[in-house]
Amino acid sequence: MLIFHLTIANLKMISRNRQSLFWALAFPLIFVVVFGTFFGESDTATTIAVIDNAQDDVSRQLISNLRELEDLNVEERENERLARKEFNDGDLNYLLIIPEGLQATVQNDPPARVTVVYDDTNPIGEIVVGLVDRFIDQANLEMSNAPIRLALTIEGVSIREVDYLDFVLPGLAVWGVMSFSVIGLAATISSYREKKILTRILATPLSVSIFFASQVLAYLVLALIQATIILSVGVLAFGASVEGNLLVIALLLLMGNLVFLNLGFIVGAYAKTVQAASGLGNAVVLPLMFFSGVFFPTDNLPLVLQTLVEFLPLAPMLETFRGVILESKSLTDFPAQLSVLAGWLVGTAIVAVKTFRFR
Amino acid sequence: MVSSSSDDVVIKVEDLVKSFGDLNAVDGVSFEVHKGEIFGILGPNGAGKTTTLECIEGLSEPTSGRTFVLGMETQIEPENVKQRIGVQLQASAYFDYLTLEEILNLFARFYKRRASTSELLERVGLLDKAKSRVKTLSGGQQQRFTIAATLINEPEVIILDEPTTGLDPQARRSLWDFIQSINADGRTVVLTTHYMEEAEFLCHRIAIMDNGKIVAMDSPENLVRALPVPFEVKIITGSEYNLDALSNLTGVQDVVDDGEGTVRMRSSDAAATVSGIMAWSGQSGAPVKHLEVTPSNLEDVFLSLTGRGLQE
Repeated sequence: MLIFHLTIANLKMISRNRQSLFWALAFPLIFVVVFGTFFGESDTATTIAVIDNAQDDVSRQLISNLRELEDLNVEERENERLARKEFNDGDLNYLLIIPEGLQATVQNDPPARVTVVYDDTNPIGEIVVGLVDRFIDQANLEMSNAPIRLALTIEGVSIREVDYLDFVLPGLAVWGVMSFSVIGLAATISSYREKKILTRILATPLSVSIFFASQVLAYLVLALIQATIILSVGVLAFGASVEGNLLVIALLLLMGNLVFLNLGFIVGAYAKTVQAASGLGNAVVLPLMFFSGVFFPTDNLPLVLQTLVEFLPLAPMLETFRGVILESKSLTDFPAQLSVLAGWLVGTAIVAVKTFRFR
Repeated sequence: MVSSSSDDVVIKVEDLVKSFGDLNAVDGVSFEVHKGEIFGILGPNGAGKTTTLECIEGLSEPTSGRTFVLGMETQIEPENVKQRIGVQLQASAYFDYLTLEEILNLFARFYKRRASTSELLERVGLLDKAKSRVKTLSGGQQQRFTIAATLINEPEVIILDEPTTGLDPQARRSLWDFIQSINADGRTVVLTTHYMEEAEFLCHRIAIMDNGKIVAMDSPENLVRALPVPFEVKIITGSEYNLDALSNLTGVQDVVDDGEGTVRMRSSDAAATVSGIMAWSGQSGAPVKHLEVTPSNLEDVFLSLTGRGLQE
């Protein structure tokens, strides 16, 4: 199949272009790593070391209850001084120190005080401490013989709420795909025109529609690979959550990317040189990126802008994408967003065909 | 051998006109190219050479007139024409990120008839560069590769637009040999050039184009022979002598004197002019330190037809 071979050739060319590969993958990944490091979860973050100075029934009960908490990894340490040193060196993020004679204090001279040590510059520290705090409340209630009026289920306490990384990761994936499809394709088209490669192709019997279809196919394949890598790094390295049906996610990504590719063809039609294509491409991509909710929810924008971006392609695409990824919603939950996207798909395709120039 | 019977016409152009706005880039051009010929279109930049080729190749739609390749009208069956011609475009490049081998293999897939990639590369001495990219090649190698690529579909006709522009004399020479070897395979070659040496060396027949029109068409020898003044006679003598008598010698059309003793005469009869110079030298006592007779060339043909030089 000719189109298959052409698509493979396109993929080869794109993947051999180090510079374009940087913009396609390395650049979005830098953001994933930065946001992941600041906002993501990691194993050490949810490990709590317990120093049991009491070694009595109450303390043992407390520790075994603590172990039942999901998302919290409990380790015991013998020596408080060494444990504090580990904490100061950054090897431990949370310490729980149980005082000597806990059982006696609980029974004879309440309240007993347990100490949590954590780094208050750690953004998720509060969440973990909150978890421990609620756990202690629960233990308190259980130990008093008073009827439990306020039942708190430990399972209900979750630190896996949607954090910033979860929010920004789908945005980064879509932004990466969009900027690469718009700028990369526009640069390719204008360089092919500048170097007369388009005319050379026209001089062969190859049908131009197959030639352009192979470009689109290559960028669609690439978008899937790109998004998979970006999302995987977020999930595997930084514990971001990606829920939702993967097929739906892929389908939505491809639909959005068709709009971006049409924009790429249009930019490529107007840009006479590769530099112009990348400048013009950025002029399209950057405002979309800033105002469509890649990094911040659009709710924070002035109302006029907020309304405006709803009619541009990126914001509806992102809302749907996040809905599917974070809330496992289905495409039918987003009729308005998908209508806007479909309108852009048709509109940009018409403009792309009308404006295209071979020379 | 070049024959001129009408059934071996490979390319036929009839009253071709191509206008861009008010400008007629090609203004009523007609010619035929015969099987086995190397046919050259000679003319300065902007004469309409490239546009003429583009109409034949199906890259440009004529404003009026028709072009035929191997009996097929380009404007009616462009796909079929493209299947059977090899095209080299002026200053066109190939994909940056594919190797020579990959480019040829990809282009081969566009055609029904396919030549062997490695044989083509071997033929242009680039087999050891099969896995290299085009930008690593020298200018001459790039141009050889470009022309090798026109042979990927075993075409009966190849059309080359200024194949040697920008090359050094040695690379140009080697490309001429290559073009002659392609022609020796039995392929008809059409090329444009603004180098008169190239047209003279390579082409069996030439159409001279200027301002969108063909101003003359024949073999290079016949074009030069048809000039009213086919020779230039140059002498070096002393500047102090009276040179007026020279313009009255047999065959001399005009005399150009640089004021320092070098005199150039255009002559229709070199032998008579030379003996006249000798007689003048004997009578006037002026020495003839140097005497040179050069036959006129295509540059002079162009000059006499248009009043301008080719490179202007």
